[in-house]
This record gives sequence, C-alpha cells and structure tokens, in this order.
Amino acid sequence: MKKIFMALTAAFMLHTASAKSVFANEGRKAGAIADPAEGWSRLFHEVLVDVTIMGVIFAAITIYYMLKYKRKSPDQVGSCKKLSAAQMWGWALIPAFVFMADDFFLAANTWSLWNIYRKPPAGSYEIEVRAEMWSWNFIYPGGAAAVNELRVPAGKPIALRMTSSDVVHSLYLSDFKVKEDCMPGRVTYYWFYPKVPGEHVLTCTEYCGAMHSGMYGKVIVMPQEEFDNWLKKETKA
Amino acid sequence: MTEHSSEHTHGWETSPWPLPLAAGILFLLPLPFSFHFVYKNSLMAMLSLGLGVPMVIISVAGWTRESLEDKYGWASGYIVGAMPFFIIAEAFIFIAFLAAYWVIKLSAGVWPPPGTPEFPVLIPIIMTIILVSSSITIHIGEGKLEEGDKEGFIKWLGLTILLGTVFLCFTAFEWSHFIHEGFLIGTNAKGTVFYSITGFHASHVFVGLAIFLCILLPAIAGKVSKPFVQAGSIYWHFVDIVWFFVVSQVYFW
Amino acid sequence: MSAHVKSGFKEWIFTTDHKRIGILYLVGSITAFCLSGIMAVLIRLELWSLGPTITDDPTTYNVWLYMHGAVMILGFQIPALTGWFANYLAPLQIGAKDVAFPRLNAFSLWLFWAGVVLALLTFVVPDPPDVMWTGYPPYSVVTSGNTALYSFTVLVMGFSSIAGGINLIATIIFMRAPGMAWGKLNMFIWTVLAAFTIQLIFVPVLGSAVTMVLFDKYLGATFFNPGMGGDVLIYQNLFWFYSHPAVYVILLPGIGMIFEIVATFSRNRIFNFKVAVYGGVGVLVLITGEVWVHHLYTSGLADWLRVFQMVTTLMISVPVGILMISLVGTLRGGAIDYKTPMLYGVGFIFVFLVGGLTGIPLAMASLDLAVHDTHFVVAHFHFVMAVSMTFAIMGGTYYLFPKMSGRMYSETLGRTGFWLFLIGVFVTFGTMFFVGLDGMPRRYYDYQMFPQLENLHKVQTIGTMIIGLAVITILISWIHGLVAGEKAPSNPWGSRSLEWDTTSPPGPGNFGGRSIVVPDDWDPYCYDKPGRTL
Ligand code: HEA
Ligand code: HEA
Ligand code: CUA
Ligand SMILES: [Cu+2]
Repeated sequence: MKKIFMALTAAFMLHTASAKSVFANEGRKAGAIADPAEGWSRLFHEVLVDVTIMGVIFAAITIYYMLKYKRKSPDQVGSCKKLSAAQMWGWALIPAFVFMADDFFLAANTWSLWNIYRKPPAGSYEIEVRAEMWSWNFIYPGGAAAVNELRVPAGKPIALRMTSSDVVHSLYLSDFKVKEDCMPGRVTYYWFYPKVPGEHVLTCTEYCGAMHSGMYGKVIVMPQEEFDNWLKKETKA
Repeated sequence: MTEHSSEHTHGWETSPWPLPLAAGILFLLPLPFSFHFVYKNSLMAMLSLGLGVPMVIISVAGWTRESLEDKYGWASGYIVGAMPFFIIAEAFIFIAFLAAYWVIKLSAGVWPPPGTPEFPVLIPIIMTIILVSSSITIHIGEGKLEEGDKEGFIKWLGLTILLGTVFLCFTAFEWSHFIHEGFLIGTNAKGTVFYSITGFHASHVFVGLAIFLCILLPAIAGKVSKPFVQAGSIYWHFVDIVWFFVVSQVYFW
Repeated sequence: MSAHVKSGFKEWIFTTDHKRIGILYLVGSITAFCLSGIMAVLIRLELWSLGPTITDDPTTYNVWLYMHGAVMILGFQIPALTGWFANYLAPLQIGAKDVAFPRLNAFSLWLFWAGVVLALLTFVVPDPPDVMWTGYPPYSVVTSGNTALYSFTVLVMGFSSIAGGINLIATIIFMRAPGMAWGKLNMFIWTVLAAFTIQLIFVPVLGSAVTMVLFDKYLGATFFNPGMGGDVLIYQNLFWFYSHPAVYVILLPGIGMIFEIVATFSRNRIFNFKVAVYGGVGVLVLITGEVWVHHLYTSGLADWLRVFQMVTTLMISVPVGILMISLVGTLRGGAIDYKTPMLYGVGFIFVFLVGGLTGIPLAMASLDLAVHDTHFVVAHFHFVMAVSMTFAIMGGTYYLFPKMSGRMYSETLGRTGFWLFLIGVFVTFGTMFFVGLDGMPRRYYDYQMFPQLENLHKVQTIGTMIIGLAVITILISWIHGLVAGEKAPSNPWGSRSLEWDTTSPPGPGNFGGRSIVVPDDWDPYCYDKPGRTL
C-alpha cells in the first residue's frame, strides 16, 4: 500500500511539473491579446489529464484488490487491522496534502484564465444585449439594432453588456466558450475574440419558459469592411 | 428504558393520529391556497378548509392525549433534548428572511423606498414589553410546577397565553393600521419585508399559543407532563428572542 | 416474528414502528422513482430526433422535466436514503427499540406521502408547474403554470424531513443501548447523523426561498422584482445555499450504506475508520455550506465571491477523497464475496469516480463558463446522483432485503439487473458528456441548432431503454423474492453488525424482548475476533 501511494505521489508531482506552463506560453508580447476560448481548451485538456490520472489510480487499485481478495472459503474473514496512530495520521495527512496540492494547482490555473475572461481588453468593440422572452436584441454603438443575429467584425475583441427585460436568460456562445446570465435589474458583461469570418451558434442557457429552446440565433463574424458597410446601412435605416 | 422491554413485544405499536394530521395539513394549507389564489375558486378553498381545520384540531387533540399517556415509556423524556434541534431549524427560517432583507436594503439607493409611511416607535416597544413579560410569566409558571403548585402553574400559564394573545392583537392592529394607510405587501420592498417577517413571527407566536393550549387544557383536567411544559417554554423563549431581531431590524434600523 | 403478533391493515397504516415506517418510505420512494423514471423515458423519447418527436408542445416537455427533477430528488433519493435506510437501520444498529418519537416518525412519513400526492397532482391540475426543480424567479413568478404546487411540494417534503431529522438525531444521541459508546457506532450512523445535521440547517432556507416565490407570485410581494427594489439573485443564492448541501444529504447516507455493504461482504474492518469519520464525514459537513456559488459562476455575482467559492469547492475533493481511500482500502486483505449488494458496492466506486471527477472541471470557475447549464452538467450529476446514489439505494435494498422481508431474493435476477443497469448508465450518461461539450444546453425541448448531435441523442435514448429493462428486472427480483424466495436466516451475510443480530424480520421491539448490552470488546466490524456475537 505504501508503495502504491508513493507511486501516486510521484505521478502527481510529475504531472504538476509538466503542466506548470499552461499559460507560460501565453505569449505576453506587447499588445498580444489572450483568447479565452484557446485558454479554455488548453486548460480543459489539462484538467482532463489530471482527473484521469486520479481516476485511473483509484480504479486500478480497486480492480487489483477486487481480483486479489476474493473469498476462498465460506468462513474466511478479512485481515484488515486497526491502524496505529502514526499510520492513521499518515493516511489522513499525506492524501490530504496531495489532494490539496492538486486543488491549489487547479485553482491557480483557473484564476489566471478567469482574469483573462473577466477583463475585456482595451479597445474592445462594445455591443449591448437585451434579452426578452424569447429573442435576443443586439444594439450597436450608433443605434443600429439586430434580432437574434449577432454580427461582429473579425479580428477585434467584442465586449457584450447584457441585461434582460423580463426573466433570467443566459447568452451562450458555445464556440467561443463564454456565457453569462442576463437578468432584469442587473447588467453583466463578457467578451470574446472572433478571429476569422464564419458563423457560430448562440443559444439561451437559462430556462426561460416554453420557447427556451427556440431562443437561439447566430453569431456572424464578418470581415471588418463588410461589417462596416452593414453597420452603416443599418444605422441609417 | 430497559424495564419496559417485555411489554413492548406484545404487538405492533400504532397511533391513529399522525396520518389524519398529515392529511389535514394538506387540506389546511396547500389545497386551499391553490384553490383560492391559483384557480380563483373560493368555494373549494372553503370546503377544503372545512375539512382541514377539524382534521388538524382533532388529531392534535388526540395526539396530545395519547402522548400524555406515554405508552412508549420514553418519548416525552427526550423532548427537551430534541427541542434545540428544532430551534436550530426554525432559526434558519428567520436567518434566510433577514438575509434577504439585508441584501435588499444594503443594495438599495434610498431606504426606506418611497411610499413607506412613518413607522411607529411606541407600539413596538409596548409589544416588546408584552412578549418579554410573557417569557417571564411562563418561567414563573414552570417554577410553580416544579414546586408542585398546579393551581399556580395553571394561573401563570393562563397569563402567558393572555399576553401572547394581546401581542397577536397588536400585530393585527399594526397591520390593519398600515393597510388603511395604503401600505401593502406589494407597495415596495419595505412592505414585502415588513409583512413577511412580522407575519412569520406572528405565526410562530400562534404556534406557541397552540402548544400552550395543548398544555393548559389537559392541565386543567389534572394531567401535566413536565418535559412537555419545559419544551413548550423553550420554544416560547425562542420566539421571544427572535422578536428582538425582528423589532430591531424591521422597526428601528 | 412470533406468529401471534397481530398484523392487519390497521397495523400498517397507523404504525409507529420504525421498521414499518421505513418500509412504507421504501414503497413511496420506489413509486416516485418509477413515476419520475417514466418521465425520464418520455424526455429521452422526445429528444430521440430533431423537431417534435412525441409531443409538439414544449410546455409538456417542461412539465415532464420539472416532475422528473423535483420528484427524483425530493420524492425518491432523499426519502429513500434518509427515510427508508435511516429509519430501518439506525435504531437497529444502535440497539434501540424504536426511535425517540415514534408518532412524530409516522407523521414525517405521512407528510412525505402528502408531498407525493402534491407531486402527482401535476398530472391532473390545469396549468401544471413548469418551473424546473430550481424554480428560479422571475420566471416562476411570471409563468402561468401553478408555481404554488411546486412551493408546497418543497415545503411539505422539507417539513417532513426536518421532523424526521430531529427524530433520528435525538434517537442516536439518547437511545443508544447501554455500552454502545460513540466509538462503536457504525459508519452508516455517522453519515446519517451528518446528513440530518445538514438538513436541519439548510432545509429551512430552501423553505424560506420557495415561500418568497409564493409571496411574490400570489400576494404581490416584491422580493425578486428589481423594479420595486427586489433582487433576482437573492433566490438563487438561498436556493443553492440549500441545494448544494442537499447533494451531500444524498451522498452521505448513500456512501454510508456502501461502506456497510463493502465491509460486510469483505468481512473486513473499514480502513482508517476514525479518519473517515472525522476527516471525511466531519469535514464535509463543515465545508458544505461554503460552496453554493459554484452553481452561480455565470450569474454575475461579485468576482471575488465566485473565485473564493471555487477554491472551497475544489477543497471538497479532500474529504471525499479520504472517504474513497477508506472505501477502497476496506477491500484490502478482505474476503470478498460478490453477491448482488456487493456488486453495487464496488460498482459504486467506479461510477462515483466518473461523476465526482467530472465535478472538478465544473468546480473550476473559468471552465464552468462554457459548460454550465449544458448536458455536461446533466451528465455529471446523473453519474454522482442518479447513478451512484441509485446504486447505493438498490444495493442497500438488496442488502436489507432478507432482514426486512424474511426471504431471500434470487441472485441470478439480482446480478442481471445490476449488469444491465451498469451498461445502461454508461451508454446513456457517458454519451451525454460529449453532447454537453458540443454545446447542447439543458432543458431544451428541441435542438434544431445542433443537427449533428442527433445520433448521440439516439444512443442515449437506447441506453435509457436498457436502464428501463434493468429497473424492471430489479423490481421483478424483489417481487419474486417476496412471494417465492426461500426463508432467510437471521444473518445471511455473516455480518457482525447489530442489525443482523435479531430475527428476520425483527418483531416489535426489535430484539425480541432482549435487552442489548454492548460488551467492551465488540464493535460492528470485529471480524478479527472469531465467533464474537452479542
Ligand atoms: C449526489 C449528488 C452530487 C454530488 C455528490 C456532487 C459532487 C460534486 N459536484 Fe455536483 N451537482 C449535483 C449533484 C452532486 N454533485 C447536481 C444535482 C448538480 C446540478 C444541479 C442543477 O443545476 O440542476 C450538480 C452541479 C454541480 C456544479 C454546477 C455546474 C453548473 O451548473 O455549471 C458543480 C460546480 O462546481 C459541481 C461540482 C461538484 C463537485 C466538485 C463535487 C464533489 O463533491 C466531487 C468530489 C469527488 C471526487 C473529486 C472524486 C473522488 C475523489 C478523489 C478520487 C480524490 C482525488 C481527486 C482530486 C484531488 C481532484 N456540481
Ligand atoms: C436522483 C435523481 C435522478 C435520477 C435517478 C434520474 C434518472 C434519469 N434521468 Fe434525470 N435528472 C435529474 C435527476 C435524476 N435523473 C435532475 C435533478 C434533472 C434536472 C432537472 C431540471 O433540469 O430541472 C434531470 C434531468 C434529466 C435530463 C435532462 C433533460 C434536459 O435538460 O432537457 C435527462 C435527459 O436525458 C435525464 C434523463 C434521465 C434518465 C434516462 C434517467 C434514468 O436513470 C431513469 C431510469 C428509470 C426508469 C427507466 C423508470 C423505471 C422503469 C419502469 C417503470 C419500467 C418501464 C420503462 C421502460 C420499459 C423504459 N434527466
Ligand atoms: Cu431565454 Cu432560455
Ligand atoms: Cu453543488
């Protein structure tokens, strides 16, 4: 058992060392913008590896014991003794230490990503979102408006300021890995970073009644020029 | 408890009261509320109440009688020990409401919000005095019971019930006074908080009075269970303490 | 049970005996499980294909889902674990004749049934509730559905479990047999004590929250109306302040039952028992109230609050991990016999690992931003709750089956049910993770915007059918055991624990008039002391 435990610790330490740099290569060169969606994918992958290691260790030990300690005669009994005080403390503190180290490691990484998520870069293009049962209203600077279709220019960080005129909704851009609730009486925000032109799904992810599942639309990422033309046309109208 | 062991192997213990009480509660609260407020059918609501009220009263009476016989030989002994757990649970109801109140108040721009009338100062003080005295009277009553003075106990218990009733009348008076001024639960956030918190407190006073009635009536007939009295009085003190929070937060803050 | 004991209909419905109350809880909760399971089947059928499949009214789907979530949690798992198991086992394991307040116990039972009746009304009332089990305002206030029914179901069930909790806490504190010191209690007793402590503190908060919704909707109060000075987030915080701890109310007795099963069928001491109690169960109770914000990572609460509770949430892996070490460690050096309960016992370890470890990315605030309220979350909680805890309930019911009925179930049927169940849940909920990662939001009647997910949804629906088959097999094995099983001996598994030290089923008074006095050298897992019985 001790051996197994040492192996566990070693595996964990190795893993920690190899994973230390989730954000080290975030390339903090001047002016570069860290994309939350990329950070998300990388960190998610990291965590998947982390929990898989944990799970496989536990599962493997379980299977090993399950096979090794089958009952061989009807009145055989187990041989597990009460632990001595030292063993007891060891089996409390060492795992607690390992688990906590992992937790803090994960927390620190989330924290860095969280900061990226929560701080729209300077110069973001800001769009207002007003949710209602059951549609999305997007209001652009200058007064242009769109329903259920969020047109944005490519290559620019987009910040959304969101509120709702009736119940709680939540604007989810699954490809950009962002979501935040839209509530009456409160304003929330987030930002995302569309880089190449294309179309993406946007959905409502807070239950808001019968047409909750009908409250979806598109994010249309357009080349800057096209977007400018569209915006001009819409603003005039 | 061991001395009772042999008599308990005779048969399965039963009591007819818990089932009708649970059913009665169904008829007393959820059903009439739904009939009246959701389906706007007051006739059905009254019918349901007509079924629920007697069911609850009869089963509470039957239950009380049975528990004074103490056929299990242990139940009443633990009631004093169990009361604190009930009180923890009760306290968290008030904590939740007060927490909602604090959040609303601390995040509000102006407080009290427009439309709130002047709150009286004298009445809550009088109410506080009444409730504190009732805590004292029940304490004295308990002392009398301890001395074996049943007459005295009944007197002091009766006085406590009287004070509690007067307190409830004050709450009712306050409410009707505010309602006349047009200050309703929906007027603003202050109205919401005021009526729900004082309402909850009043309902606890009401339950406390009901418990005391369940002690008083058998006591007049000569049957008293000391642990039951003690538990009731702990509950009453709790209702009293909660009032301090209610009055200080809702009236004077 | 001696033959002359009178036992008719009246002795059942008016019973105040903890064993019978436990069995009536079992009947109620299995009924609730089948009903809300059928709702799950309807949900899955609706999601079988793009567009309307078996209903073209989204509200119908929403009502099914409301029913499914609310009844599975309030009507099935909490009553099965804290009603059925705790009522049946706790007094037996501490050597008591009954609970501290037998009438109050019966009252909790019938209040629970009243709650079941209220939940069933969903099918008959016009405008049934469609607020989901979370009932968030303002939707629950503005909907034309009957939110009152939701609030009252929660209130009635909540009051029932508070009454039950006070009762069992008092029982465990005051009614232990002479010599039954705190150090000699079963693991299950500790977990039940912890679960009820959590209930007492947190249920009233949930009760208050749903009462506020009731006031807002029907009496015109303005708790959640921002236009009138209210705040919609008050409800979400109060709700999760209860409902996160509620998952540990489910987890604790469940894992406690699994500990009993694993110890009995390995004939082994629980590994590092004291640490599991203090460092596992105890620490879990201490931190369970500081993590609710992990359900609100996308709700726009203050950043510091979200990050702070992220750390506390991650820390929960420590006590749970310690419990898991004890569970796996109990197998070590054991003499393991793979009867049906034990299959559920070891199966639990694997499914709980899947569910618990996928809770880790959810706990990490910035990762949760992308998967919150998608089917990834649904898959997480079905693995920890719908699968692991149902394993605990099924396994525990098989485990107690000889004791409560006096008959043995059929091993073949029992094992078949287990394997079907295991396959079914991996097919259904394993696939669900991928659907969720692809962006499929929860509570969606339809998924027009994700046509590429149709096949994965079909796989899940097929998996559900396998689960359905498993449930049918399990039910048949029980009914078969009840009518045709062989007579059970008093201690079929060779356990050392006190509940097996009496007839199957135990008669009134539990130990046949015997006064239990616990000797110094006994404890419920003393397999290392040959032949030691009371
Ligand atoms: C029995 C029920 C149960 C249990 C036990 C858990 C356990 C956990 N849950 Fe889960 N959860 C639910 C039921 C449950 N949950 C439900 C019902 C919901 C959704 C509600 C709704 O929205 O409708 C939910 C949702 C939910 C969310 C919100 C997701 C969202 O809506 O966006 C989060 C986020 O943090 C979360 C996290 C966790 C964590 C960290 C644990 C931990 O307790 C898990 C701990 C276990 C392990 C970690 C595995 C074993 C430990 C080890 C092997 C040790 C080593 C491991 C490490 C150091 C990582 N859960
Ligand atoms: C303990 C709790 C529990 C349990 C056991 C289950 C069990 C199951 N759950 Fe569910 N579930 C929840 C708790 C639970 N669930 C909660 C809390 C939610 C969230 C609700 C919300 O969003 O508000 C949810 C939501 C939920 C969804 C999400 C829907 C959506 O968001 O749109 C889905 C979808 O697949 C689902 C499926 C299932 C399935 C297939 C089972 C199966 O395991 C069921 C197995 C049971 C049976 C199959 C019935 C018994 C069998 C018979 C009576 C025989 C007849 C049947 C057949 C022949 C098929 N559940
Ligand atoms: Cu809007 Cu869901
Ligand atoms: Cu949680």
